[in-house]
Amino acid sequence: MLEKNPIEEVIKTGEEYTGGGIFPGKDSMHIYSVSELNLDIKKNLESSFSEVWVEGEVSNYYCHNNRHFYFDLKDESSKIRVVMFYESNKNLVFQIENGLHIIVSGYISLYEKRGEYQLVALSVRPVGKGELILAYEQLKARLDSMGYFDVNAKKKLPLLPGSIGVVTSTGGAVIKDMITVLSKRFENFHLIVKNVNVGGPTSQEEVCQAIDDLCSYGVDVIIIARGGGSIEDMWAFNTEIVADKVFKCSIPVISAIGHETDFTICDFVADVRAATPSVAAQVVILDKREITDRINKIVSVLKKHVENRLLYCQKQLESVTSRKVFKKPASLLLERWQELESNRKSLLSATAVNTEMKKSQLASIISYIDAGRIKGRLKLHDSNIAKLRYILFSDFNKHIEELKNRMSLLVKDLQSNSPVVVLEKGYAFLFKKDTRKAVKSIGDIETGQEAEIILFDGILFAKILDKINKKF
Amino acid sequence: MDNDIEKMTFEQALSKLESIVKELEDEKIPLEDSIRKFETGVKLSSHCLAKLNEAEKKIEELTKNDDGNLSVKDLKLAD
Repeated sequence: MLEKNPIEEVIKTGEEYTGGGIFPGKDSMHIYSVSELNLDIKKNLESSFSEVWVEGEVSNYYCHNNRHFYFDLKDESSKIRVVMFYESNKNLVFQIENGLHIIVSGYISLYEKRGEYQLVALSVRPVGKGELILAYEQLKARLDSMGYFDVNAKKKLPLLPGSIGVVTSTGGAVIKDMITVLSKRFENFHLIVKNVNVGGPTSQEEVCQAIDDLCSYGVDVIIIARGGGSIEDMWAFNTEIVADKVFKCSIPVISAIGHETDFTICDFVADVRAATPSVAAQVVILDKREITDRINKIVSVLKKHVENRLLYCQKQLESVTSRKVFKKPASLLLERWQELESNRKSLLSATAVNTEMKKSQLASIISYIDAGRIKGRLKLHDSNIAKLRYILFSDFNKHIEELKNRMSLLVKDLQSNSPVVVLEKGYAFLFKKDTRKAVKSIGDIETGQEAEIILFDGILFAKILDKINKKF
Repeated sequence: MDNDIEKMTFEQALSKLESIVKELEDEKIPLEDSIRKFETGVKLSSHCLAKLNEAEKKIEELTKNDDGNLSVKDLKLAD
């Protein structure tokens, strides 16, 4: 038989199960629903951990809808979820960021929907430094990266502001000190003061509104001033809204917050930082006596320049007018005339001399052409010609004689070799009648052709009857 | 030119005055020009000095009424 499952049995029958195991007896047993259990745990947790302080490092931080903060708080080996709702975080001066070492105070709660517990933070403070210092450092770094302190974005202060706006408390010594300094430097200054609380919770909004009001009313420069105090006192001047207002202000702003050693964010953003409000009063307007002296000095320098220039020109003019041309113009003309005259004379005399010279040159040439001398020279040439003729003719005759002799020799030689001599010996020459060519061989003439036979005393006309080829 | 000077701010007039001094240091400019510049300089300096005395001493407080209108009144300081 199959063994019964004791639990199934109990559920089925509703009977008491007494067989032992992990479940307690019916009297002590209570079975929770999940919601019930979570709610129970929540009550226990919230009563046991209704006020805790826990220290750790922030990680996985994010801000939901710009309102609620969520992050983990961790140490070397463990972590816990933390939520900081808007109601608690809205007045936080510094920013939660990953890696920040903080102490959180709050209570443990359980989020029933997911059965997860978390630390609900009511307040947070940094470890190692004050929260204001941290907030200051954080804002300063952020604005710096956004170019709020950029030197190139600084506006130039007017040299002579027609009206000076001041954002400060009219109740303190600050405004009195500033008026004292201003009166010494520039007695007819025009100050427009906007009274604000320079400390306290409304301070930052008041300062921003005052800047807007002065801008709309119209001033040439704005001084934001307050006396010294703690970092808490001066906190308005370390807030982002004031920094932003100063940065975006179209009118140049001088920031004069606290003492010389106090540096607020407002100081960094402003176009000029004055160490104290009194310094701001010095910076904002020039010293009237000083500037008047400077202008007068400039004018005297101008005068000096022009005087020197005039003096110089006068001297130059004098040096020109003292010259002869201006003093004795007639004498200068006379001089010129004399010069001209002397030039004319020397020109004339030079021409005369030149003519004479040419004349004598001509005479000497004429005298050189002497008839006698020419005749002598001709005679000499004649005799030279006769000599040459003699030489020429005697040589010529000799040459002719030689030629004659050579001729007779040649004639003799020719006669002895003459064909006529051969003919006289009884030989004859035969010519072809038509071509008059000598017939030296029987091949030169054909049978039946006519020929001429030259003998020593005449010519025979013949006709070739026959040919016999025979060598002699 | 005179009209232009009248319209100049203090800064503009002063800087023009200073530039005239520099220009006059140049001895090459003709005498006529230097005299003209000198005259301008004198006018500019008078304008600057006039500007310095133009404002009337006033210490006022800016206030805003309920309608948001801004107005000024003499500032009263506690002793």
